[in-house]
Amino acid sequence: MRRAVAALVVTAVAVVLLASYDTRPPTTFNPNSALRRPPARATVAPRPRPPGTLSAKGPLLTTPFSTIQVQAWVHRGRLVDVKTLYLTGSDAHTNALNARAEPLLREEALEAGSADIDVVTGATYTSESWRDSLSAAIEAARVE
Amino acid sequence: MSERRVEHVMGLPVIVDAPAADDAAVDAVFAWLRVVDARFSPFRPDSEVCRIDRGELGASDAHPDVREVLARCARLRDETGGYFDARAGGALDPSGLVKGWAVDRAAALLPGPFCIDAGGDVLVRGGPWRVGVRHPLRDDRLAAALRLSDAAVATSGAYERGDHLLDPVGGGPARGALSVTVVTRSLGAADAYATAAFAMGARGPAWTAGLRGCEAMTVLAGERVLCTPGLGGLRVPLA
Repeated sequence: MRRAVAALVVTAVAVVLLASYDTRPPTTFNPNSALRRPPARATVAPRPRPPGTLSAKGPLLTTPFSTIQVQAWVHRGRLVDVKTLYLTGSDAHTNALNARAEPLLREEALEAGSADIDVVTGATYTSESWRDSLSAAIEAARVE
Repeated sequence: MSERRVEHVMGLPVIVDAPAADDAAVDAVFAWLRVVDARFSPFRPDSEVCRIDRGELGASDAHPDVREVLARCARLRDETGGYFDARAGGALDPSGLVKGWAVDRAAALLPGPFCIDAGGDVLVRGGPWRVGVRHPLRDDRLAAALRLSDAAVATSGAYERGDHLLDPVGGGPARGALSVTVVTRSLGAADAYATAAFAMGARGPAWTAGLRGCEAMTVLAGERVLCTPGLGGLRVPLA
């Protein structure tokens, strides 16, 4: 059974590697930015592991992008769970993959409020409107 | 010694608010931005960008800054799957990167904290500064407010100039999103990513979620807002 588990671990590793294989270069990263670490991932409830489930750790495998080690749980010859124990790689590819695995977006309703602020983003005034506004301000100042 | 100055450069009002800087430092910032405009403007026939576009100047013979920007435009085009495209309108126009890149460079000229607002794209150091995100449909209202230090924030939207952003992949004006705001470390990246995500329309938010070191807020048609998970930590409540 141990050999079967080991074989399944190898299979699991292969699946993980295949899943992470990407024929395109990483499409998403900003080399200059490290504004903040990604937030901690939401904890995922462990899958049920019935009595008699066997587990084994795979070897540390180094890929061109990272080093990875997974643990597999097998019940009655079937793979019931896989956990990534170790995953390194600060390169763009790995981070892009990790980012894809993050719980993604928060949806909310659009607010229309105000706040005490220093500056506004998105006010991309055209030259014309800015000049018009400036002219109007100068005109108004003259009248004062 | 407290400097806040507005000048019109690169076709935009640029506001430099640098409490610890003197006149000379702020002069240097605007002088730099004028040099950039002369070199990169797609509206000045004698700019290097126009001369390259007309085939009069080889890209490899251009000023090192021009070569750097064009190389970064090419990388951004790949990173964004073609949605950031310095030739989206046909002619060479790297303006989508130039403004932010120039402001990033200007940071080295200012001592202490600052807030630079280049036509609604904002780079801040120190602070924290309070940055409002313009509401895409009501120009007297904010859609969000952020508390930022050492950060860049850019917003792309169609509200000011109509459908001024083109979808380089699908063709025609970009649709689906009302505005996209991206927060990251460099204004060049923030601006380019916001431009690309806006051009992606409804697919933009998912793409922003994969950007490393970036947070984003997309207002979609129908007034739905999609935020990356970390954006909430930067926000302050609106009144």
